[in-house]
Amino acid sequence: MGDLHEVPRPRIATGHLAQHIGRPVCFVGRVEKIHPTGKLFVLSDGEGKHTTVELSEPLEEEISGVLEVVGRVTNQATIMCMSYVQFREDKSPFDLEIYNEALKIIHEFPEYFPFG
Amino acid sequence: QRIRSQNIVPCTVSQLLAAEQVDETFRIRDVEISQVTIMGIVRHAEKAPTNILYKVDDMTAAPMDVRQWVDTDEAGGENVVVPPGTYVKVAGHLRSFQNKKSLVAFKIMPLENMNEFTTHLLEIVNAHMILRKNLTSASRVPQSFSSAGIGDMGGYGGGGSLPVNGLTAHQSQVLNLIKNCPVPEGMSLQELKLQLHNMSMSTIKQAVEFLSSEGHIYSTVDDDHYKSTDAE
Repeated sequence: MGDLHEVPRPRIATGHLAQHIGRPVCFVGRVEKIHPTGKLFVLSDGEGKHTTVELSEPLEEEISGVLEVVGRVTNQATIMCMSYVQFREDKSPFDLEIYNEALKIIHEFPEYFPFG
Repeated sequence: QRIRSQNIVPCTVSQLLAAEQVDETFRIRDVEISQVTIMGIVRHAEKAPTNILYKVDDMTAAPMDVRQWVDTDEAGGENVVVPPGTYVKVAGHLRSFQNKKSLVAFKIMPLENMNEFTTHLLEIVNAHMILRKNLTSASRVPQSFSSAGIGDMGGYGGGGSLPVNGLTAHQSQVLNLIKNCPVPEGMSLQELKLQLHNMSMSTIKQAVEFLSSEGHIYSTVDDDHYKSTDAE
């Protein structure tokens, strides 16, 4: 899993990548496309903006739907993925747009939602 | 003067780790807290004869130890271990042992609808904002922090609506007069103007419009007469 899971990982959207270069983050988005090599995929956030996620080892399974990625932002503003989980949508679809709005709130009030 | 939260407060792991310990109690923003909820992903689960130890990660800090005591009278099966990789909501009490904080959970449930997680993010901001406001206004802690979001946790969440004390002095005066009016068709704007010498008709009308849109009053025989929704 890596030690990235022992530190704070701010929840961000695509627009925040530039401010988090080199830092651990948590990104939630919908799978848009997967590179044939399986080492790269693209997620869209609640505003439809795309983020590229890279893997050190190729994917070993099919991925689809909404993913939550933990990783580090690279100098190219992509995310080097350490781990990911799929949000379950078997009972209800996940509202990514509302999640994006919630991100704006938690970023606006770091004193009430501290990362670290 | 000890302010104690009677409620179950939604928190981030980072807030719990930062909570101050004073003797046997914990405080966040000087408000004593005891029962809390967190939501995060299970990173680790270890079953022992009398308890299950989880590590729950909400991304705000390192995963938190969450211990759930197993009812040893139950012949197996009652406490099923939640597998790692599952998002859960946890309700429990904050504990500290040898300077390490943990939770003792009285309820751990997998999240079936991830939109509840989004709600939880917002409830945290709201609850802690209220905690801070109650400090600065030195008033009582409100009855309930949580709304319907965690209502299905069997009542632990309270479920009452958030207190809204957003009435201005003018609005309060108008509302009180309308509340105390015994007449069936309610109070008319003209009567309000007679009683409220300090207010212009337009101020009264604005107050009435606000109170009506908030559901405190309703119009009766015409748009000039109002009754309180709280009237006996």
